[in-house]
Amino acid sequence: MRLEARGLQAGYGRTEALRGLDARILAGEIAAVLGENGSGKSTFLKVVARILPASAGEVRLDGEALSSLPRRQTARRIAYVPQSVDLVFPIRALDLVLQGRAPHARGFSPDGPADRARALAAMQACDVADLAERDASALSGGETRRVFLARALAQEAEIWLLDEPTSGLDPRHRVEFLDVLRRSHQERHFTIVLVTHEIDLAAELADRILLIRHGRALAEGTPTEVLTAENLRRAFDVQFDLAGGRFAVIGPSSGAASER
Amino acid sequence: MRSATAVAPRRYIWIAGVSLLAAAGLLGLAVGGVRLSWSDLLSGEGAPAETARLIVSLRAPRVALAALVGAALALSGAAMQALLKNPLADPFLLGTSGGAAAGAALATLAGVSPLASPVAAFLGAIASSLGVATLARRGGRLDLQRLLLYGLIANAFFSAVLLGVFSVASSSAARTMLFWMMGSLADATLGRVVSLAPYAALGSVILGLYAARLNLIAVGEENAAALGVDTEAAKRSVFLAASMLTGAAVAFAGIIGFVGLLVPHAARAVVGNDQRRLLPLSAVGGAALLVTADALSRVAFAPAELPIGAVTAAVGAPLFAWMLLREP
Repeated sequence: MRLEARGLQAGYGRTEALRGLDARILAGEIAAVLGENGSGKSTFLKVVARILPASAGEVRLDGEALSSLPRRQTARRIAYVPQSVDLVFPIRALDLVLQGRAPHARGFSPDGPADRARALAAMQACDVADLAERDASALSGGETRRVFLARALAQEAEIWLLDEPTSGLDPRHRVEFLDVLRRSHQERHFTIVLVTHEIDLAAELADRILLIRHGRALAEGTPTEVLTAENLRRAFDVQFDLAGGRFAVIGPSSGAASER
Repeated sequence: MRSATAVAPRRYIWIAGVSLLAAAGLLGLAVGGVRLSWSDLLSGEGAPAETARLIVSLRAPRVALAALVGAALALSGAAMQALLKNPLADPFLLGTSGGAAAGAALATLAGVSPLASPVAAFLGAIASSLGVATLARRGGRLDLQRLLLYGLIANAFFSAVLLGVFSVASSSAARTMLFWMMGSLADATLGRVVSLAPYAALGSVILGLYAARLNLIAVGEENAAALGVDTEAAKRSVFLAASMLTGAAVAFAGIIGFVGLLVPHAARAVVGNDQRRLLPLSAVGGAALLVTADALSRVAFAPAELPIGAVTAAVGAPLFAWMLLREP
């Protein structure tokens, strides 16, 4: 067992986003986190990435409480790929990738030739080597996504947290991004936890699905176990048609009110 | 493998920056109400040489104070910009300088020793920055428009405080009040330079220690946290160091606007946004700018002296307008 959440609670000010979430993700797995908007999916990633503190419960990494480990140590093991970043100041794409080396470097200053070589190799692997000298704030959404993937690769973390990695990408960039992700996973066998709204993508990519509703786990297991019409109706308040291996929404749920 | 061509310009940038500061220093020593003859100074003997030496000894503390104040304000601005992820952050525009001046003025009115005025200015700077940042926060985010608006409100409020203190203070104290409101380096002494130096040094060292972490914060707080930075501790330390630099600068030279906006902006155009290079270059640039501005303030309408704040505002205000126009 690698990553485990027990009774996890967290929120923003007075708004509770996680209300006692339990989850288990094994080493090397691809886990997809599904749930409606505001269900706590992204909050779960942020707590694991130590961006947001848990107000109760805990995340355990190989049996050790995450909060008891030094921040830099967890940053060496867990990489977070944000949905988007708002870059106010110009920064070279290569420097952004080099930031992935910061948790490993003395004084957060990744300046050594080894760091640079790792960053460039990661950019090569993610097909963004030609963007190295470009200003990252002027890149397209698809390019930025792959630059951040390269950064996670340069970080050499065992666990990758991806927040809606394919949202806003056109079909070509989506395919390219998923290609790079699959390739990296096959080569390095790290654990991937991805938050997504695409049920089809989750079913196709993930070994494990975590279905969240109102900050709690509604179901957890393999795609076949979890992605049933009943579970999806309870998670999203809409009726799904699962015929032909697709997840098509067919109408509003009749029993929505009773779920709260 | 960094190419040699990338290293060479960087070295030249530093040579240029330090040369610029040295030239500004010489200009600051040379110009003023009385013309200084370098040949007299360097010839060594006789009355003209004595006079020249006297002029230098009078002007040197002023040049040194201008350099320290300029460096402190520019560093403070650069650090706040990275921290707030906002290139328009400036100790003057955000009301930090106003708070510092009000703190120092109130301390003077209360009869506190002038030696403690940097501490009072520091407290005023912190109170003002905290107030503005708290009011400008909306939905957990610092809103740029609100930040500038509350900075404006803070400045109006602290002007009222200063005017209030000014009207009840004795005439000698009133002169000091005027000094804080308009900014001045005219009262520079070696003692003031020596008093300011430790604050400037401590603030610079703290910011230097956090420069690499500020690079991660400038991309985003979440970004920095995910890369292992204790963002709350970093924000606190940088905020306190920047407030201390502003407070100390204001305590010894009054409110001098736009240095913290102008200099980091120009330095960023030269070395990019890597704080490990931007902060030192901003310090050198701030020092050079204020020494030059002070020299200009002395000769522009000699024998009358322009307030130094008027000179920096004359350059800074149009640039600020231009930066606002470029905001999306």
